[in-house]
Amino acid sequence: MLELQNVDFAYKNQSPVIHDISLTVGPGEFLAIVGRNGSGKTTLTRLIMSLIKPTKGNILFQGSIIPNCTPAKMARHVGYVFQNPDRQIFHDTVAEEASYGPRQLGYTPEQTATFVNEALAATGLSQLADAYPLSLSKGEKQRLTIASALAMQPKMLILDEPTSGQDARQRDQLLKLLIKLNQQGTTILLVTHDMDLLSACAQRAIVMAKGHKVFDGPVSELFQDTLQLNNWGLIEPAALKISRELAAFGLKQTASINELSHDLVNMLRRNNYA
Amino acid sequence: MHKVAPITKLALTVFVTIWAILLQSLPALALLITCQIIILMLARVGIVIYKGIASLFIFAAVLAGIQYFISNDMILSAVTASKMVAMTLVFFILLTTTRMQDLSTALVVQCRIPYEYAFMFTAALRFIPDFLAETKAIQEAQACRGYSPQGNLIRRFLSYMAIIKPLVLKAVTRSETMALSLELRGFGSRKLRSFGNKITLNTRDYALLISMATFTSYLIIH
Repeated sequence: MLELQNVDFAYKNQSPVIHDISLTVGPGEFLAIVGRNGSGKTTLTRLIMSLIKPTKGNILFQGSIIPNCTPAKMARHVGYVFQNPDRQIFHDTVAEEASYGPRQLGYTPEQTATFVNEALAATGLSQLADAYPLSLSKGEKQRLTIASALAMQPKMLILDEPTSGQDARQRDQLLKLLIKLNQQGTTILLVTHDMDLLSACAQRAIVMAKGHKVFDGPVSELFQDTLQLNNWGLIEPAALKISRELAAFGLKQTASINELSHDLVNMLRRNNYA
Repeated sequence: MHKVAPITKLALTVFVTIWAILLQSLPALALLITCQIIILMLARVGIVIYKGIASLFIFAAVLAGIQYFISNDMILSAVTASKMVAMTLVFFILLTTTRMQDLSTALVVQCRIPYEYAFMFTAALRFIPDFLAETKAIQEAQACRGYSPQGNLIRRFLSYMAIIKPLVLKAVTRSETMALSLELRGFGSRKLRSFGNKITLNTRDYALLISMATFTSYLIIH
C-alpha cells in the first residue's frame, strides 16, 4: 500500500534528520513507530503526508508516486490525526466538523452525510453530533479528529501520539476504537511513546533512533533485548516487567496486559487462591 | 550594536522616526536606509532578518506603486515608500539586537513606564513567533483534511476561516493560561520589583545620544 524507498530528509542548510529509510506498509496492517524525542518519528509521517518533501528517495502509494503531491491530495488516501485536536476544530457542531474534510474533497452532500454518520458511529460520537466541539473532553475531541479523518474515506490512518493528555478511561476507549477500525480493514500507523499501547494493539513496530530505522519487526521481538531497548530510549511495557518478576512462579513472559491478567488468574486458580 | 544600552536603541528608534519624517530628499532617505542596513550587517543578524527586509522592500514597492497610480507623482511615491522603509528598519535594529528582558527593564527603570505596560509590550513581541508557528501548524493540520485555498479572493478568504478560527481560539486560551500563570507567580502584587539584568549607560551611549540629539536639532533648524 505504502512504500518508502531510500528516503532522506534534511531541513535547509542543516544535517539530515532522516537517513536512508526504506519500508513497506501492507493493507490492513497495524504498525507503530516508536523512538525517543527527536528520533524522526513525526518527520517520517510528515513525509508520508507530503507536508515536507524528501531530499532523496521516493514515496509510493499503491505502487505509484503521486505526482505534484500536496497534503490536500494525500488526504484522499491517508487520514492524519494530529496530537493536538484544538489545532483543527473550528465548526459549531461535531457533525459539521466531521463534514469539513469530505466537503473539501468534493463529495456530494448526500455522500458527505453518509460518510459523516458512519464515521461518528464508528467513533461512538453519534449521540454528540449536535454538540459544540470545544465543550467535549480531550478524549472525545481526539475521537472527533479520528471521525473527521475517517469521514474522508482514507485507506490508511496515521495517528501522532493519540493518547497524550488522556486519562486511563479515555485511553482505553481509544485503544478499543483503533483495534475495531483495524479489524474493519483500516491500515493504522501509530506514532507513540506509549509502550503499553504499542504492545496492546500493534502487530509490527518500527524503532527510529537519530533518524535511522534501527528495528522493523513483530512487537514480540522488540521486547526480547531489554538492553537494546534502553539504548533506543524505550522502556518495557508494565506487563512485561511484572511477568518477568513472576517468571519464578511459572508465569510466561508477555508484553500484553490482557494476556498477563489471564495468566495470573489461571495461576491463582491453579493454586486455589480463587 | 548588541553592547549599546537598550535605552540608547530606544532613543535611536525615536530619532530615526523623526529623521524619516523631516527628510524630504530621496538621496538622504536612501542614505538613512543604507546606514541602517550597514548597522544590521555589523550586528551579524540572521538570514531570516534579511528575508524580512526583502519582504519589507517588496511591500514598500507595492505601496509606492499604489501611490503612483493615485497621485501620478513618481518622486512623492518613492519618498513615501522610503520613509516607511526607514521607519520600519530601525525596529529591526532594536528588536534583533536587544534582549526582551533588557528592553522591558529599560522601559520600567529608565523610561518610568509602569511594569504592567512594559510587560504587555514585550509579551506582545514575544507572541509573534509563537503566533506564526501556530499558524503554520494549523495550516498543516487543515491541509491534511483537504484544505487547499482556491478560487477568487472572497472564496479564499472564506476558506481561510479554517485557519483563523482555531488560531483565535488557541490565542485566547493561551492568553488566559498566561494570565493565570502570571497571577500565581505574584505578578503586580508589589509596586516595587527587582531586575536581575544591568542596563546602565556608559560613555559610548552618552556620545551616541548627544550626537543623535545634535543631528536632530540641525535638521529641525535647517
